[in-house]
Amino acid sequence: MVEIATIVLILVGTFLMFVAGLGITRMPDLFLRMSATTKVSTLGMGAVMLAVVIYFDDLVATFHAIAIILFVFISAPVAAHVIGRAAYFTGVPLWEGTIVDELRGHYDLRTHQLESVPLPELEEHLPDVQVLKVLLPATSPLAGQTLAQINMRRRYDVTVLAIRRGDRMITNPGGDAQIQPADELILIGKSAKLDEVVSILRGLAR
Amino acid sequence: MTPVQGLVVFVAFPLLTIAVILAFVRLVRGPSLPDRVVALDLISTLMIGIIAVYAIATDEPVLLDLAIVLALISFLGTVAFAHYLERRV
Repeated sequence: MVEIATIVLILVGTFLMFVAGLGITRMPDLFLRMSATTKVSTLGMGAVMLAVVIYFDDLVATFHAIAIILFVFISAPVAAHVIGRAAYFTGVPLWEGTIVDELRGHYDLRTHQLESVPLPELEEHLPDVQVLKVLLPATSPLAGQTLAQINMRRRYDVTVLAIRRGDRMITNPGGDAQIQPADELILIGKSAKLDEVVSILRGLAR
Repeated sequence: MTPVQGLVVFVAFPLLTIAVILAFVRLVRGPSLPDRVVALDLISTLMIGIIAVYAIATDEPVLLDLAIVLALISFLGTVAFAHYLERRV
């Protein structure tokens, strides 16, 4: 009985760990790889450790195995979270088939603090409108132009609500306001239009 | 050789070894540093599994001490890497 349980648990555990190895090689981007490896390998390791618990008729070995299970089940999610977060901030690219990046625009690029923009009433009145913060890169083709020259409102149906420059906040900027590299623009518009504007600001599209 | 030992030697070791090789491929290919850190983390988890099945096959529960140490070190390593990566931005 003990032997059968051990065999089943070892089979399940090693198979899951093998799947984790397969996932880390085959998945297309870091975040998908992480979802394949961290969960599956932790579960596989847990199964193998349960096999240890069942196989050894020894209290010390049982405690060792349970300690490992507990520690890995606590530490693996934390490790995955911190490395995923660091990867997101360092700009590790998402898979090109990614449909939506819900985190984009919702964190402070300087302090790395997550914040959501709570505008429930606005969203109620204006469906699919989104407020987005964008940091203007130094290489942006639009840096140095005034808002009137860019004419974002007419051309892309997106409005610049405010510009944060260093510690200063320019609210409701006029047409003569010039945007500079490292400015943070707070934009409002429909999600699809915002995507377009962000790629133009970053110099990725024309 | 008992059935459990046979399973470990002929099924568990090959599967885990292939998994380690696959993770090592990712470690070498990258392309980003976080990819490599995740690959290292996976390799250490796989090593914990290898130690556990080896302990079962050889009937040596003492080897589980190694698994505990490895789990601790790999966690610290990953967190340290993440901290360093985030500071560098």
